[in-house]
Amino acid sequence: MRTLNFREALNEALHQEMAADSRVIVLGEDVARMGGDFGVTMGLLAKFGPDRVRDTPLSEAAIIGAANGAAFCGLRPVAEIMFADFITECYDQLVNNSAKAHYMFNGQVMAPIVVRTASGAGFRAAYHHSQNIEAWFMNIPGLTIVAPSTPYDAKGLLIGSIRDDNPIIFLEHKMLYGTTGEVPEEPYALPIGVAEVKRPGSDVTVVASMKQLHYALAAAEQLAAEEEISCEVIDLRTIKPFDKATILASVRKTGRVVLVNEAPKTGSINAEISAVIMEEAFKDLKAPVERVNSLDVPVGFAPVLEDHVIPGPTDIAKAVRKVIDYN
Amino acid sequence: MAADKQTLLDYYRKMVLIRRFEETMEEYAKKGYIPGFLHLGIGQEAAQVGTMANFQPGDYVLPDHRSHGVCLMVGTPTREVMAEIFGKKTGTNGGRGGSMHVADFKRGNVGNNAIQGSTMATACGLALAAQVKKTKSVTFNFIGDGTVGRGEFHESLNLAGIWKLPIIYVLVNNGYAISTRATDAHPLADLAKMGCAYNVPGVTVDGNDVEAVHAAAKEAVDRARRGEGATIVELKTYRWQGHFSGDPASYRPEEEVRAWKEKCPIKRLREKLLAQRMADGAEIKAIEDDVEREIQDALKFSIDSPAPTPEDALTFVYVGREVTGK
Repeated sequence: MRTLNFREALNEALHQEMAADSRVIVLGEDVARMGGDFGVTMGLLAKFGPDRVRDTPLSEAAIIGAANGAAFCGLRPVAEIMFADFITECYDQLVNNSAKAHYMFNGQVMAPIVVRTASGAGFRAAYHHSQNIEAWFMNIPGLTIVAPSTPYDAKGLLIGSIRDDNPIIFLEHKMLYGTTGEVPEEPYALPIGVAEVKRPGSDVTVVASMKQLHYALAAAEQLAAEEEISCEVIDLRTIKPFDKATILASVRKTGRVVLVNEAPKTGSINAEISAVIMEEAFKDLKAPVERVNSLDVPVGFAPVLEDHVIPGPTDIAKAVRKVIDYN
Repeated sequence: MAADKQTLLDYYRKMVLIRRFEETMEEYAKKGYIPGFLHLGIGQEAAQVGTMANFQPGDYVLPDHRSHGVCLMVGTPTREVMAEIFGKKTGTNGGRGGSMHVADFKRGNVGNNAIQGSTMATACGLALAAQVKKTKSVTFNFIGDGTVGRGEFHESLNLAGIWKLPIIYVLVNNGYAISTRATDAHPLADLAKMGCAYNVPGVTVDGNDVEAVHAAAKEAVDRARRGEGATIVELKTYRWQGHFSGDPASYRPEEEVRAWKEKCPIKRLREKLLAQRMADGAEIKAIEDDVEREIQDALKFSIDSPAPTPEDALTFVYVGREVTGK
């Protein structure tokens, strides 16, 4: 099969959906003339014109508000917030309008917007270009958070998100844009809310997403080869709502769990997943749930600072050994 | 062109309807029938009626924080707006919106919003959709003077300016954002001038003169419909009540309130109708009686209607996805 990188897969999804559905529009900072700060919207302006592909000023609140309004009128806006850190500028629009419109107006309207944003650490870009924001939105009913980790999922989940009738925050980990994988040429939509077992195993369940998923797979590979520990690695793919059934089925099988997420530990999505495991599979647990997160500090600039804070395969392997060694 | 008798009598009826609606809401809030906050627009009826007389099918309106009246002007039955404020299942939003979120999408009311100025960003999208879909729809965006301080005010005007969005910003300047005077919060007395930086023209009008309001709004709406972009129409008026029903508004001098009550937009139109012999006392009374019947009908409907069920709290969180109950 043909190979694309993550960025190309997303770009192809946008081209195909805009060609198939005239309701799809794209707006954001530098998305038209430049084709996006990370190149995800390349070629859209030339193909679909300035009415449907719009560069905006540095106005995140207006971008999301405009996306909401256009969605109320039946369009399918895909808005880009260049870096996830900037989403604080439109937090009100997302939390108070996108998330609540369908509910507070009693189903009279939907807000089918997709907010694409580059998240995550690793770019040596410090405090305001490195954060993981999923936990900031976990507590907001009405929102959905999608987070692919492979080019195949990136294309299928973006198409699935555009076709979904709910407001979706679509996280693109910026360290994944250059990663490659097999991607079918035809359009395909992957379901929202469905995780995937990326590596079957029997000793420990490891739940991860985005870049950390790859770290989890690397750790699992090494643990299998060197220590004969069999990890079952689950890619969340959708963070809200996360796929309880897939996680719980695996936990019931292994009895040991490591949850991996790149955001700071306190109040991260790992806390919520952990709580669900306690509520629904407590008797199946052979060890306390272990969490692998960033330290509870901001992402600093000097590489040594960032590397000390962000988890990697070594941290994951250490956590796996800890739940294995618990008796 | 001066408005004809029938038009003025129509304005009169609508302003009396809004006044009586608001007075009734206040009365029933005090009696304990209405949960939560109630922001009344008594004194601002001309701004609402004069502007909305330009509203056409296919247009959108985003009412402001004090605009039950605007919600009544799109043709939503009075009883459905009132029942919503009572939190009843028969209300526009099934009782889950209340005073601050009345919406009627099929008639173009995209809902008011309790985050001041937040609707200005939404308005950009409604107008953008009109451009993409090539319709002649105009978006009426009601905002207050306090909203001028919000980031969305500036981001949205900027966007409206560069994209020539078909929006009329109805800036209802009632002099106060809760207790803070507009003149203390903003560096210009005429806030319509704020559009200058964004190449959005603005005009400041006596908001208690329904005919002047209508004329200024018409010019702005016509301009938007011609594809020439947005306009700010600032309507100088006054709210008679406190910020919410029950707020004693001790931050305002009594003589100021008295002076504005003298400038009552309803009294003003009634006196004109009588002085120019466009209507006599009997006709005026007939209109007021007719409004009263409408109010009493809506009141009975609102009181008698059922509340939503507890299970209604779990619907419409997501499209096509269930939320688990207790």
